[in-house]
Amino acid sequence: MALVGSLRKELAEAVASSRVLVVGAGGIGCELLKNLVLSGFVHIDVIDLDTIDVSNLNRQFLFQKKHVGKSKAQIAKESVLKFCPKASITAYHDSIMNPDYNVEFFRNFTLVMNALDNRAARNHVNRMCLAADIPLIESGTAGYLGQVTVIKKGVTECYECQPKPTQKTFPGCTIRNTPSEPIHCIVWAKYLFNQLFGEEDADQEVSPDTADPEAAWEPEEAAARAGASNKDGDIKRVSTKDWAKSTGYDTVKLFNKLFKDDIKYLLTMDKLWRKRKAPVPLDWNEVYNIDFLNAESCDSKAEFTVVGLKDQQILDLKSCAVLFAKSVETLRARLAEKGEKAELVWDKDDPPSMDFVTAAANLRMHIFSMNMKSKFDVKSMAGNIIPAIATTNAVIAGLIVLEALKILSGTVEQCKTVFLNKQPNPRKKLLVPCALDPPNPNCYVCASRPEVTVKMNVNKVLVQTLQDKILKEKFGMVAPDVQIEDGKGTILISSEEGETEGNNRKCLVEFGIRNGSRLQSDDFLQDYTLLVNIVHCEDLEKDIEFEVVGDAPEKAPQKLTEDPEKNIANGSDDGAQPSTSKAQEQDDVLIVDSDEEPSSAVSDINMEDRTQKRKLEQEDDHIRAKRMRVEQPADQDDDIIALD
Amino acid sequence: MVEKEESVISEEEAAQYDRQIRLWGLDAQKRLRGSRVLLVGMKGLGAEVAKNLILAGVKALTMLDHEQITEEVTRSQFLIPVDSSEKNRAHASLERAQYLNPMVEVKADNENVENKSDDFFLQFDAVCLTCCSRDLMIKIDQLCHKHQIKFFAGDVFGYHGFTFADLGVEHEFVEEKPKMVKPSQEISDGPEAKKPKIDPNETMMVKKISSFCQLKDALEVDWSGEKMKNLLKRTPNDYFLLQVLLKFRTDKGRDPLPECFPEDSELLLQIRNDVLDSQGLSSDLLPDDFVSWCFSEMAPVCAVVGGVLGQEIVKALSQRDAPHRNFFFFDGIKGSGVVDCLGVK
Repeated sequence: MALVGSLRKELAEAVASSRVLVVGAGGIGCELLKNLVLSGFVHIDVIDLDTIDVSNLNRQFLFQKKHVGKSKAQIAKESVLKFCPKASITAYHDSIMNPDYNVEFFRNFTLVMNALDNRAARNHVNRMCLAADIPLIESGTAGYLGQVTVIKKGVTECYECQPKPTQKTFPGCTIRNTPSEPIHCIVWAKYLFNQLFGEEDADQEVSPDTADPEAAWEPEEAAARAGASNKDGDIKRVSTKDWAKSTGYDTVKLFNKLFKDDIKYLLTMDKLWRKRKAPVPLDWNEVYNIDFLNAESCDSKAEFTVVGLKDQQILDLKSCAVLFAKSVETLRARLAEKGEKAELVWDKDDPPSMDFVTAAANLRMHIFSMNMKSKFDVKSMAGNIIPAIATTNAVIAGLIVLEALKILSGTVEQCKTVFLNKQPNPRKKLLVPCALDPPNPNCYVCASRPEVTVKMNVNKVLVQTLQDKILKEKFGMVAPDVQIEDGKGTILISSEEGETEGNNRKCLVEFGIRNGSRLQSDDFLQDYTLLVNIVHCEDLEKDIEFEVVGDAPEKAPQKLTEDPEKNIANGSDDGAQPSTSKAQEQDDVLIVDSDEEPSSAVSDINMEDRTQKRKLEQEDDHIRAKRMRVEQPADQDDDIIALD
Repeated sequence: MVEKEESVISEEEAAQYDRQIRLWGLDAQKRLRGSRVLLVGMKGLGAEVAKNLILAGVKALTMLDHEQITEEVTRSQFLIPVDSSEKNRAHASLERAQYLNPMVEVKADNENVENKSDDFFLQFDAVCLTCCSRDLMIKIDQLCHKHQIKFFAGDVFGYHGFTFADLGVEHEFVEEKPKMVKPSQEISDGPEAKKPKIDPNETMMVKKISSFCQLKDALEVDWSGEKMKNLLKRTPNDYFLLQVLLKFRTDKGRDPLPECFPEDSELLLQIRNDVLDSQGLSSDLLPDDFVSWCFSEMAPVCAVVGGVLGQEIVKALSQRDAPHRNFFFFDGIKGSGVVDCLGVK
């Protein structure tokens, strides 16, 4: 047998002549590029829309401090060429969802490897690879955990065959009226930022919700309240931003409105506070003068203690108020500088933006009797930060290349999904390979004629909502074209700009859409057609605009079972099977999305979908129970018992 | 032992290490900051471990390697620039290693580890050996074990790799566990809850101890006797593969080379027979085809093993989270990674 390094000659040749695409040059991407060139891959395209941030440097090792602000794809390429100048790398500082990267583009490659951190892009690449019939290696990491899997059209499940849990959202009245957890206050503060400085969104109201069904003693009362406040033309009619502008963003007025007047209004909705602790309004003058009223607070003045990071200190009430005032002033000035119709975009890495949310959220937490949170913790929650380290990414990127080699050897049937756990499972496995599942015949993406049924109120849902929330956000399309199957082929939505603009604010019913209507939705870039069946429904829950039939409210993660076959290979027992155990491997980690709020550095590049899904890591209950049983009680002299 | 730095973490460090501090906490980061590590052998695996430790933010890393660069090494080592004027593996890796994180003191030493005095090792909190002979590893482990220095070893042979750890008889560490919140507790994150629930934001640290054996005991398991039959069934055959490859290394003074494939694979089969026979074991434990998969260092395997090994060193130095005890075996063909405990009484 001829070997080139560790590889058989034929495989080494296949590797050298292949052309591969790496989507993402971040945590996994850097490690992956390194592994690819060292393994003999030559023709590599790498694409990433992001620029380098200092928080990347603990793991994205191709970058140094001096590269902060520069294109990840470009610098990654330059760094790799330093230790492997023979590699032929093409770098794109761009979004993979750009229509330039069409099916033809994808067909250039022998295989595609994702190194992404958000679901929208994963869905998109999934569809492009299906359309081009190119194998795709998917992966993800979060903290100590990671996963790699292989997707090949017609052979394996595609990325969207199994429904993935969607981002957790909170009902409007929880955010606006009755927060009970810090996250509710943080979401409120982010909404407030947008209402004051950014793009105003009807779904991001911060003022008390008078239509809260829980607030009404009699059912008619809620409607009456809502009606009354509209008639009075109170603050709700004037946009928050306009009101703020009219006061010149006066911080005292702003503070008193948000943290005193609005809270007092909430208190009048007394039914809400029958079983809950009522909020306590704050007055600017009282808070600001705390020093004189209460000697104790002098000790709690924000001093940097030695123990934690500066950002990990929890501020006292007055410091919060001061921080609020300061950040409002800074943001106001920035907005004014930008001009008349300017809007700011919230960015967790921008100190005033972060200060604003920290302060506003903490003030609200105080009002609602919650323990306040440090800026460090608020940043984690507000920015959906996924902790990340180099070693997890290194392991996953190594596994990706090993799967790639199997594909290039022509042995896709040997490919596996591999999970990386934090601790070995009861069968001593730290890395758990599992057989790949065949495609789901009912998959709404890769089935031969995908179809879904969606419940909605056709009298209320706007065409815009259908396009943005349903087709793009829920069903992952980037540029949908929609035709009504009404015998006339009426065009409802055109992906060409301007063509169907006029339809956006109209309700579906105005186009004759009713119960039983069918909409043919196409995304030509993804070469994807989805037939949408409409079911008219008038009693969906509040805040819910549509429901996909077949979606359970909280879908359990797919239980992947280990292939028993692979443990019994030709009489050479791999030995790791406890002879008495019949338990099936059920260690699951979903492919995790990091979905960090991107820094404003990327706001220049047009991103179609900035989904804000939080990382979800779920263990099968069975395994959780098992792990709890072997836990030792908290005792200093405990020994670890190796799980046999 | 690890110097406990009392000073505050700088703004620069807080910004750079943010994503890992959010994972393993500030205390762990501080302990890393006070740790000095010796890394022996700067081939593919060594480069991976060096990268991982430097990025993690240890105080100092010394890369010790007396060998010269060869063509084979440039294929699997990303710290050595192609136009390097340095001939020694450690020195050639120094510049790019330092660039990974200027806050770490990175040093290169081109002496042979065999010639280092005992005292040399005492300046380190952890020692990690790659590319070393079995006898040398055993000897250095004994020294480390005696002086409470964390000892690690690792190697990659083709598609296979292994790591070993000896953290001493009483390795202390903490684990973070969720706190159960009772309704009567003063601290609460919201209005009165009606029943106790696990508050995901509240956690507590639980102290634990783990006990490790020396490498000698781990490699010299006596398989005779009825009781051992069960253990044998559950032991990955990678363990025996390791023994064969270490013997090859001792006998030939090098690892199997692709250009010597015919004669080296012949020798490997011979050694397999000798090693298994001498322990009263059947050669079925390692079927002949093993020879196809253990030549040269595969880059992706170095990445996987280097990642696991790097993280084990980080865990041991930061004394946080349960260490793997005491072997990790990786089979790149099957994609299996197994932690096994051998030699511990």
